[in-house]
Amino acid sequence: MVKFMKKMHGVMNASGNTARVSFLKEQAIKTVFFFTALFAVIVVLFILLFLLRDGYVIFEKVGVLTLLSGATWAPTAVEPLYGIFPLIVGTLLVTLGAMVFAVPLSIGCAIYISELASPRVKQVLKPAVELLAGIPSVVYGFFGLIVLTSFIRVTFDLPTGETWLAASVLLGIMALPTIISVSEDAISSVPHEYKEGSLAIGATRWQTISLVLVPAALSGIAAAIILGVGRAIGETMAVLMVAGNAAIIPEPFWNILSPLRTLTATLGIEMGEVSVGGDHYRALFGVAVVLLIITLIINLTAVAILRHLKEGRKRGITRKSLVSAYTQESFVRFAKFPGFLIALVFLFIVAPLWLAVLLLLAGVIWYFGRDRLSQKYIQAVAFTFVVAAAVIVLAILVIILQDIILNGLPALSWEFLTQPPKDLGRAGGIFPAIIGTLYLVMGAIAIALPLGVGAAIYLVEYTREGRITRLIRTGVDLLNGTPSIVFGLFGFAFIVLYLKIGVSMLAGQITLALMVLPTVIRTTEEALKNIPQSLREGSLALGATRWQTISRVVLPPAVPGIVTGAILSIGRAAGETAPIMFTAVVFSSRFLPDSVFQPVMALPYHLFILATNVPGASTNKYGTALVLLLLVIGFYAVAIIVRNHFQKKSRG
Amino acid sequence: MSESAIITTNDVNLWYNGKRALDSVSMSIPKNKVTALIGPSGCGKSTLLRCFNRLNDLIDHVKITGEITLDDENIHALGTDVVMLRKKVGMVFQKPNPFPKSIYENVAYGPRVHGVKDKAELDKIVEQSLRHAAIWDEVKDRLNDSALGLSGGQQQRLCIARTLAVEPEVILMDEPCSALDPIATAKIENLIELLKQDYTVIIVTHNMQQAARVSDYTGFMYLGKLIECGKTVQIFEHPKEELTENYITGRFG
Repeated sequence: MVKFMKKMHGVMNASGNTARVSFLKEQAIKTVFFFTALFAVIVVLFILLFLLRDGYVIFEKVGVLTLLSGATWAPTAVEPLYGIFPLIVGTLLVTLGAMVFAVPLSIGCAIYISELASPRVKQVLKPAVELLAGIPSVVYGFFGLIVLTSFIRVTFDLPTGETWLAASVLLGIMALPTIISVSEDAISSVPHEYKEGSLAIGATRWQTISLVLVPAALSGIAAAIILGVGRAIGETMAVLMVAGNAAIIPEPFWNILSPLRTLTATLGIEMGEVSVGGDHYRALFGVAVVLLIITLIINLTAVAILRHLKEGRKRGITRKSLVSAYTQESFVRFAKFPGFLIALVFLFIVAPLWLAVLLLLAGVIWYFGRDRLSQKYIQAVAFTFVVAAAVIVLAILVIILQDIILNGLPALSWEFLTQPPKDLGRAGGIFPAIIGTLYLVMGAIAIALPLGVGAAIYLVEYTREGRITRLIRTGVDLLNGTPSIVFGLFGFAFIVLYLKIGVSMLAGQITLALMVLPTVIRTTEEALKNIPQSLREGSLALGATRWQTISRVVLPPAVPGIVTGAILSIGRAAGETAPIMFTAVVFSSRFLPDSVFQPVMALPYHLFILATNVPGASTNKYGTALVLLLLVIGFYAVAIIVRNHFQKKSRG
Repeated sequence: MSESAIITTNDVNLWYNGKRALDSVSMSIPKNKVTALIGPSGCGKSTLLRCFNRLNDLIDHVKITGEITLDDENIHALGTDVVMLRKKVGMVFQKPNPFPKSIYENVAYGPRVHGVKDKAELDKIVEQSLRHAAIWDEVKDRLNDSALGLSGGQQQRLCIARTLAVEPEVILMDEPCSALDPIATAKIENLIELLKQDYTVIIVTHNMQQAARVSDYTGFMYLGKLIECGKTVQIFEHPKEELTENYITGRFG
């Protein structure tokens, strides 16, 4: 390099200084991008640090073991008890129930989309699944609270429908899109040769799917399920609104009609009412640490599996599997057994007796008659189930949408959209909440976009894959898997209290920005990677510097992709409640804020309070839910339109 | 032809998306012989091969006219069970495509999907098929290892064993050696020689020496048409058509 520089000086004596300046400039630019990229890692460390800083006292005082295994959570009793065991059990049980509900539906639906659906049906189903992913969690919670819990209350003749069952079904629905899209991707990318090989032997389509395609996609499906588990464990608002929140272990432990409470719900409920610095406050941070560690482990596992798969795909079909073929086969054989047991337990406790008997009978006939049935009948039966799964998923979406839309439409009026709320939100409008939400997301994206784009540019343009990129990518993945309530807690502890910014719009914007940062980084990375290498080489070969190449050749065609990512992030941020709950919002304010240091109203929080704390605001609840839904879906729709528009354009 | 035909095609035409890929192909494939299909890339030989087990059904926008018979039965007749057809007409692909399962499971897959459950019987079929495909000695000690750990040539012989395990009448081979080195190729060619005692083999190949070495009959195709077809010796030594002679002597393609 030095020699080269000397030569440059020799050749271009006159412009020697300019060359030096431009070299320094390049270095400076690179350094700036490096630090933006490092930011994600720093944030993750900071989050962990701050949670530990506030939480470690309780671990020390009560003892790690007592804290984890204590059977009673009574932080406000005269002699407070901080046992989070029931909360951990609650979290695990709710998640387990959600998976029992979601996994069969999702895999069925994924098989339908990848193997059976015609291109036209695919065009309906895939956006429908995306739409399901776009519904804000507080809207899910609202729907669960109004529709699902009353359905459960009436069906099982209970005093209240706020139960483990309700929480599991709701979380299951919310996990559907994640599991469906990741496993659909896994099944679709099984090499075509496997399918041909199996069909050429004379296997039926169903035999090919069940014996070759699904086993070959098994690691991808496993990753999908783990991601779904992560989604379910990290969810706060929806589960808080329907789970009943009694910090007990169900009695007996499979009683899914009992209420229970998760780690996240505990934070959501108690954080707002706790005195800062007390033991209870510290205990909540202890809960957050436990929650964060659980989700980090889960997400790292899923990411590791998916990354392994991706690398394998690049190397072609002769990849070696993560686990040996033999282990995989035995696993599939044994997995059937507990699956069967869970189904059986579920059947006897939840399903009405006639249904249980009917299904059991069908099972018995199936088990003993299987060998006598022709493969054609088996295929017909299997395809019926697969189609049914897809229909159910679609039906869930339709039911939710029609409930919100039909009940929300009457509330929509000019006044509702332009007036501040009156009488605790029972009358008047939601104007300040709409504006507050828009302020929050605009601020969030203004912070996240430069950081995220910078990080992506560093990752794609300035480095080769190595230890540093791996560290940064891991940081981004971890940030992506962090539950939103943990962001809320961190925002409260660090931005609101430590930096003394106070509960304010700015604090909310920063917190939301941290939350959407991974999305911005990932979509920008994708956009940059799609720019052909030859363009860069063409520019560099003309003697352009790296930064000139990036800014004039690489970035312009990547703008649509980056914009799409930004809008998706805005949509996600607009629907979030947990991160802003303790950092930025107030329930009611007649006026708009005049500086970023004042708190604001926001749609998701407004809906949450209306739904849980204000009886008799029925029309306005639905109206708020509909406006929030339309706002979020509107952002997603714009993102999709931008994407499609430029995709068509680039194809010419 | 003197031998009895197992497959005959009568005026078969095929269009992909309206583009003609096969142009009135009529030929007959003699039983228990090796028939080679040769011709330049894109001449339709693989397409014709994939007609015999109706694997073209998997591709959208394909239209076929004409008649193809297997054992005197029209394979496109209404009510034909494609699954049964494919059981009778096995196929080995260009690129070895073992499933990501163990060696044992790869071979046992076919019998299993056709209803064989008994472990002892499966063991027998697996061993016989692997022996028949001349790979038994190389893999007998690691039947539970992943098939993806085998070399390319071993994978291809495993795929042949997988095909043999369902006891087909006809084996289609779509350039089975194009992804293999010369030693592995020689092994597969020896194997084909052995197979014709029990099976009818139809092989598509780019390599004319290979066609001359392994086949009894040869069909030469060009631009979707079957130009000439007959005994291999005759096609290579006294071709009737000028096109065939030009191709064989390397003047084009």
